[in-house]
Amino acid sequence: MRALPILLACALFAAAPGARAAEPSSGSGQAALFSSLERSAGGVTTLSSDFVQEKHLSMFKTVVSSKGRFYFARPDRLRWELTAPVASGFVLNGEKGRRWHQRTGRTESFQIGQEPVMKLVSDQLFAWARADFGWLRREYRITVQGEAPALLRLEPRSAATAGFLSHLLIGFSADGRYVKSVEVHEKDGDFTRIRFVNTAVDKPLKADLF
Amino acid sequence: MPTPSFTLFATLYRHLARHRKALYAVTALFVAASCLAASRAHIEEDIVSMLPDDGSNVDRDFRLLQLAPFTRSMVITLKAKDAGDPAALTAAADRLAQALTQADAGRVTTGLTELSGGFLGWLGSMLPNLVTGPDLNRLAAATSPAEVQGRLRQSYQRLLSPEGWALKESIQSDPLSLSALGLEKMRFLNMIPNMRLVNNHFVSADGRSALLLVQTKAAMTDSAACRELMARVDRAVAASVPAGMRATVLSGHRYTLLNAETIKRDLYVVLTLSGVAVLAIYLYFLRSWSAFFVFLVPSSILAIASGAIALSQGSVFAVTLGFGGVLLGMADEYAMLIYFYCRQGGRDPGTITAEVARPVLFGAAATMVSFGVMLMSNLPGQRQLAVYSMIGIVSALFISLVVLPHLIKPAPQGKLALGNINLGWRLPRRAVIGVWLAVLALSSWQATKVRFNGDLRAINLISPELRQAEEELASTWGNMRGKALIFAEGPDLESALLVNDRIFRRISGRLAAGELVSLAPLLPSELTQKENRARWSAFWGDGRAERLAGELARGGDALGFSGTAFAPFLATLTHPPPPASAAGLREAGMGELLDSLIVRSPGTVRVLTLVPDTPQVLAPLSRELKGMPGVHLVSQSRFGDTMGDAIIRDFSRYMELTSLFVLLLVIALFRRPARIALVLVPVVTGLVCMFGVMGLTGLEFNIFNIAATILVIGICVDYGIFMVLRLAGDADPAATISVLVSGLTTLAGLGALALAHHPTMQSIGITVLLGVGAGIPAALLVIPALSPGERP
Repeated sequence: MRALPILLACALFAAAPGARAAEPSSGSGQAALFSSLERSAGGVTTLSSDFVQEKHLSMFKTVVSSKGRFYFARPDRLRWELTAPVASGFVLNGEKGRRWHQRTGRTESFQIGQEPVMKLVSDQLFAWARADFGWLRREYRITVQGEAPALLRLEPRSAATAGFLSHLLIGFSADGRYVKSVEVHEKDGDFTRIRFVNTAVDKPLKADLF
Repeated sequence: MPTPSFTLFATLYRHLARHRKALYAVTALFVAASCLAASRAHIEEDIVSMLPDDGSNVDRDFRLLQLAPFTRSMVITLKAKDAGDPAALTAAADRLAQALTQADAGRVTTGLTELSGGFLGWLGSMLPNLVTGPDLNRLAAATSPAEVQGRLRQSYQRLLSPEGWALKESIQSDPLSLSALGLEKMRFLNMIPNMRLVNNHFVSADGRSALLLVQTKAAMTDSAACRELMARVDRAVAASVPAGMRATVLSGHRYTLLNAETIKRDLYVVLTLSGVAVLAIYLYFLRSWSAFFVFLVPSSILAIASGAIALSQGSVFAVTLGFGGVLLGMADEYAMLIYFYCRQGGRDPGTITAEVARPVLFGAAATMVSFGVMLMSNLPGQRQLAVYSMIGIVSALFISLVVLPHLIKPAPQGKLALGNINLGWRLPRRAVIGVWLAVLALSSWQATKVRFNGDLRAINLISPELRQAEEELASTWGNMRGKALIFAEGPDLESALLVNDRIFRRISGRLAAGELVSLAPLLPSELTQKENRARWSAFWGDGRAERLAGELARGGDALGFSGTAFAPFLATLTHPPPPASAAGLREAGMGELLDSLIVRSPGTVRVLTLVPDTPQVLAPLSRELKGMPGVHLVSQSRFGDTMGDAIIRDFSRYMELTSLFVLLLVIALFRRPARIALVLVPVVTGLVCMFGVMGLTGLEFNIFNIAATILVIGICVDYGIFMVLRLAGDADPAATISVLVSGLTTLAGLGALALAHHPTMQSIGITVLLGVGAGIPAALLVIPALSPGERP
């Protein structure tokens, strides 16, 4: 699936704390960083955050900005909600999901496994939410570009994916507890940047969010 | 009155009496050589040997039916005890697939590859090649100004959502989701009714089962390869299927293996049991070491007939060998007569042989005629069976009349053990005739109920486990293997696709999309695609493309899209893509579909269309497709009917010809109408009772029962001849015990066959058992009762 690596970026707003101990150029330092991220993320039960998305696509005359909120509750519940310029979103809850659109005014349920694109989205989101670096390192070559705050560069291993995706840049907050920004750079020069703000970790979330 | 005799045998006896050692040595050498040849025979288990090769297309239809999707594949259902964890199910399917691949079972498929991205992109880009006239009407509605604005906003929303990361390219090339028209065509490709895609895996509607398809290299007719393959598959299943799940493997290979192993086991059991039973009968009735030589006759002819077939035809059909057990019981009739007459002694053995040669040759002639008719059969297996039996009979004649008289010593004072048996003349004749007539009447009535079954599956062994697996497959996935097939045939793919297009145009209106599986909507012929492209260009050529470009520009501008955002899409309106090809479709992830519906063989390409195998669907379709060049409609149900007709046709011809020839032979031999009628009593009784009991018990008459019927005729006519010759005073009273003992040995051989597990062999055994079982008492009891004035 060509789009799979790109989707991975969508998950980067999920928890990835604890990047301070990384050694940028050292292989063992990287391993220690990932191990640290996995350990730290293991303790995260909920996340909530606002986000701002900038689309730098040649399809648009100018940069298109949108904003919204996302929520995550361990182990497998997630809500992505766009609030402007259009209202839409989806909820993932185990193997089930539902989505809605302001334009149609409808909410529809779906089985994640039966919708390949949503399946890819959810796989990526949850892999990052659970900080499964073993899986991520199989899919990407990950290099540490900065320590404080941590900045990771991910390059796809698959030649097919590398045909259109250049790399991902993942920036962490100063305290390393959550992802601050994500950039998806495509081969054709287009890129998307998502900045997460007002992130709350391990705060109680309303059950009806999911 | 002197007894008529064939003096040739007397002369031959006297000549060979001076060279007995040489005679024994040559005979033993011949039998040993036959054993060697027989041991090297290749046993053919292919059911195709029992299909007509008369150009009636039955064999062609049978071969075409084997090309049905999933018939060539191994189908594995992986079932979880509980639903609700599709991830675990699909992960287990992947592990099993990997284990099967590592076991070199074949190419394993667990789902459709690249369905979401590659295929949808392909479908969108190929739309100009695929749209039909009605599609364009819907396209016109989808590109109205209001629709354009709504669809464009939808694409904009999708682009901003996480899903949009995967959809940028497809939105550029299809901002209005016009490829949904293409998706509509997928309705005609629902080959597994109860299947849905979960995590890109084939999963059942209840979410508990995953489906794996394995394309193996092992030929289904090669039982050794099947055994080896199934062992590897079973090991892979045992090693990889986790607790809480189970895998059911259904494959033609498993049927082949089961049938081959059952036939081999049956052969061993039948030949051993019949051999032991025949020997026991000899020991009881013959009570002489000479009986050993009589026993050697059928054993020898079994070897000779098998060896001769192996040498002349290379391979021996398993069913032919199975018939050997019957032949073993049948062929001792002649040896038995010789034995009893020689044991009575009192005359020169050469003279005795010359006298006994008459009934022996008469009986053998009748049996040869019966089997000779079978040579005209359209079934290769039946013809081989005829040759096999005729070789056996000739061998039996030679050994019985030429070799055996030298080996039998006269009994002391010429007294035979149990030689005073005269059953027929001790029973009240009116009672015998009354019972006989009642049995005949009852049997005649019941015989009308016999049903002819041409379904080849009915003569295959299906174990309870396999039947359960079949039922489970059908209940889990729907009727994925029981479809009727329409073949579009051509010398190359384009020709076949062209025929396939014509078929689809003719029948698509008659069937709901879910009932019809056809590649035509997704992969039309290049000619059809050319027409579609021309229609597409004409549709957009009247200024519609420019108007749509304007709408897109206005709507896109309002949403912030650049002026070139949808250039790839607009280009396709006026510059259609190259034709859709099988290679492109395969690259888009639909290789499995292509492999299922396109069958290539040297010089021929066939494209399949699947329709429900019901009379309501097939009858009008047959009329619709009749006369269309390159089109063949085949189905299991119709094939069964055709085979049933072929059986009835063949059987009717056999009965007519055999009856005619046997009657002519009997007339030529006996001349007097009363004698002729008496000779025919056992055969008529045997046949009527055989059909009567079949009708009464619901046993169906299948293709193998034809050979069995011929055998009943041959054996029962012999009994009639032996008994009537005795009445005429032409033969010695030893004929009675001879008929009784040879009848018992025949029943022993057939009884063993009736114990076989394989339906084919069992069917032959039971049928002949019924016929001969009725023929023996008719010969021993009814003939004497019907001829009181001719008591010996």
